[in-house]
Amino acid sequence: MSGPGHDALVVADLAVHYPARNGPPVRAVDGVSFALARNETLGLVGESGCGKSTVARAIVGLQPPTRGSVKVDGAEIVGASRAALRAARARMQMVFQDPVTSLNPRMTVGEAVGEPLLVRGIARGAALRERVAGLLTEAGLRPEDAGRYPHQFSGGQRQRIVIARALALRPALLVCDEPVSALDVSVRAQILNLLVDLQRAHGMACLFVSHDLAVVRHVCDRVAVMYLGRLAELAPRDALYAEPRHPYTRALLAAVPEPDPVVQRAKPRVPLVGEIPSPAHMPSGCRFHTRCPMTQAICRTVEPEWRQVGSSLVACHFAG
Amino acid sequence: MRPRISAGIWIILALIVLFAVAALLAPWVSPHDPLRQSLLLRLRPPGSATASAGVFPLGTDDLGRDLLSRILYGARASFAVAILSVSVSLVVGTLLGLVAGWFRGWTATLIMRFVDAMLSVPAILLAVLTVAVLGPSFVTLILVLGFTRWPRYTRVAYASTLQVAALPFIAAAEMSGAGSGRILLRHVLPNIAGPLLVVATSEFGLMILFEAGLSFLGLGIQPPAPSWGSIMSAGRQYVERAWWLTVFPGLGLFTLVVCVNVLGDWLRDRLDPRSAGR
Amino acid sequence: MLLAPAPFVPALFAPALAVHDLNLLIDGAAVVDGVDFAVASGEVMALVGESGCGKSLTAHAIMRLLPDAVRQGRGRIELDGENLSALSERQMRRVRGRRISMIFQEPQAALDPLSTVGAQVAEATGLPRSQAREAVLRMLAEVGISDPARRIDQYPFELSGGMCQRVMIASALIARPAVLIADEPTTALDVTIQAQILDLLRRLAVERGTAIVLITHDMGVVADIADRVAVMYAGRIAETGDTAAIFAAPRHPYTALLLAALPRLTDVPRSRLAVIEGRVPAPAEFPPGCRFAGRCPLADDHCRAEVPPLRDVGSGHLSACWHSEAVR
Repeated sequence: MSGPGHDALVVADLAVHYPARNGPPVRAVDGVSFALARNETLGLVGESGCGKSTVARAIVGLQPPTRGSVKVDGAEIVGASRAALRAARARMQMVFQDPVTSLNPRMTVGEAVGEPLLVRGIARGAALRERVAGLLTEAGLRPEDAGRYPHQFSGGQRQRIVIARALALRPALLVCDEPVSALDVSVRAQILNLLVDLQRAHGMACLFVSHDLAVVRHVCDRVAVMYLGRLAELAPRDALYAEPRHPYTRALLAAVPEPDPVVQRAKPRVPLVGEIPSPAHMPSGCRFHTRCPMTQAICRTVEPEWRQVGSSLVACHFAG
Repeated sequence: MRPRISAGIWIILALIVLFAVAALLAPWVSPHDPLRQSLLLRLRPPGSATASAGVFPLGTDDLGRDLLSRILYGARASFAVAILSVSVSLVVGTLLGLVAGWFRGWTATLIMRFVDAMLSVPAILLAVLTVAVLGPSFVTLILVLGFTRWPRYTRVAYASTLQVAALPFIAAAEMSGAGSGRILLRHVLPNIAGPLLVVATSEFGLMILFEAGLSFLGLGIQPPAPSWGSIMSAGRQYVERAWWLTVFPGLGLFTLVVCVNVLGDWLRDRLDPRSAGR
Repeated sequence: MLLAPAPFVPALFAPALAVHDLNLLIDGAAVVDGVDFAVASGEVMALVGESGCGKSLTAHAIMRLLPDAVRQGRGRIELDGENLSALSERQMRRVRGRRISMIFQEPQAALDPLSTVGAQVAEATGLPRSQAREAVLRMLAEVGISDPARRIDQYPFELSGGMCQRVMIASALIARPAVLIADEPTTALDVTIQAQILDLLRRLAVERGTAIVLITHDMGVVADIADRVAVMYAGRIAETGDTAAIFAAPRHPYTALLLAALPRLTDVPRSRLAVIEGRVPAPAEFPPGCRFAGRCPLADDHCRAEVPPLRDVGSGHLSACWHSEAVR
């Protein structure tokens, strides 16, 4: 049962391996651990194929993990029965990347937002309509939008509908998988402002998965950087951006183009050679050694330990 | 913006509606009783008129029955068989496809292998055999057609369900706590209805042909009840003397099936996002 | 990368590509309306804007690769002084890939899956096979493909997204076109790969003297490599000028709001981001005056009634706003 005294989310040694047609399994996620307190927003960043979305899906029980443990509000998700998983999902909700495919085109906005309340027997009839109207208002829409269909809304408004639906059950944990990546800049700002407000108002824990380091910095308390199925670094926001410890974090930060030509063109480049290796052919030792500018002999053979450096946790032999 | 409905499609739709209305209203619009025989009026050519019995716009058959009336009643049989058999196979096939696409794993393997097996048996042969065993009747015809034609729907429903099930709104429904039944009926089914409708339309045309074919062979609608197939079958012996007995029902069959197929193609183009805007 | 912005000197400016008063219509609505811009050799000109602003249609109009639903109205497109609009389709086919090339957002989708890297890059050369191979190998090396002798015989599916984009760039540039149109060339790529591709484009513009028209929605990308920029909104250019000038002091409210709406690595976390209320009007509902008026905090009756022309607000910096002095 929920109560004070434990974190909203505890992920321990989570791994998701996919069987490959020939050869060893693809280790999409390979031993990821972190915890998330109530009221806290944790950013999970990395490039495509690093496994960040898979982590998100495993946490909400949409992707059965190969090993590890996921506790949401104290309840174990991994290996839970259908009924237990359904109960646990009342405590966590998800916002997806693409607001177009996140909503059933054949269902009205009211039906979509009210569905969690209806199928769990929490509200029906007039009470349900009232709850839906409240949720829509909270997400910045009008109550009368309930009768319209998703295609009548712009991308930003659709993402508001998705957020209203995710809030219906007052979840302890909100998992956002690239919630603003598909949106235009001006709309992106609206949704980010909304997420910041709602997270504050409800005191939810929020896992914010994104490839955009500027967005993550804007909304998160702590940030985890993922590379090839593992965490490279996990640090409080200011520490991570001011003093990145892992060479991959440094390279990522250097690669983000700042929307300011003076800053951007004065920025030292950290050239990251080569391409991301395939998770089916994982490099030996440190996974990053094939692209790292500071690779030494030890990096090719020994996997670096996860250790504390200052306020950061980092997996690099040479971080200090 | 959606493309406007072209004039051609309006004509096609109007023709189909005309056939359907004629079939529906056959008892009221037929000039004669389709079963009433008269030895004196055998094989009259189209347009014949008699003082006692009136005009026979499309002539009479070998038993002196009015051909137009028989064709109108025959259209009734065609529509009834097509609607009922398509409904049976649509429901059965869609249900199996939904279940296979949603539960996947061994359930899907079992259902889809069965589909493959069904599709590798010639449907017409299966139909002929079944009718031979059960004896020809209207109900047999519906059952035979309904239960041999579902695999196509299953294939389409299965593939579409797999696609839709991978979309985030299905994951969101799961997160909401919706059960499989609700997800399949409220979330998946409405979103795979388009492609199923396209299959149902093309099957509709095919069912009309099958009914005519089986009736032609004497395995479908049983005489004296009129059916386009049996009218043509009977008229076959008189092709040289009474061309109208084969030409008019054949023309009806051809027109209706072409219309239905064109409608099916048009629906497919309209519903398929890949061919949109072309 | 430290770059001196290319100076914009109108009098000496002999553009490689010039677009004059381009109008594109869908169902009678001007989805691109009076777009003017020019690019010189070795220069990177960015067309930036949100989805539906007409930047991509403009690029396709230059290549004369518009979708069927789009019709070109007024407008003149000049390549090295030659009016492309006057060319027949057959003549235009010889221009494409030789004198103007285009690269796309999804490099994997834009390459032919059934032909080798070498064959695709060689296509634009028109050389016999034996000679082409040498040229292709040199070009692949120039765009930073490691081990070109091996890559040349591979198929697109064997390459990563970043590698495919390099192949696209190689095939676009091998015939030494005067102009390269890059339509969101890094949008589908990861940031570390994006940085590599942007560096490559910049280097090629300088070394080969290629004029680059960069279509993007990303202000960060503009800040990184564009010498000049045209900010587009609802089919019109809102503001254009030197990248440095526009980022330092935008003179159109849309640009100013767009820049303020971006979270940056340097701002205060969780501070409120500027919001542009409402949404871009649909082409059928374009207002008679300024198309941004419905969402603009500065709009008045004048803005709603009359289209603001692009006016010089200082050293080649143009803004289409009646209140450009009030924009801060």
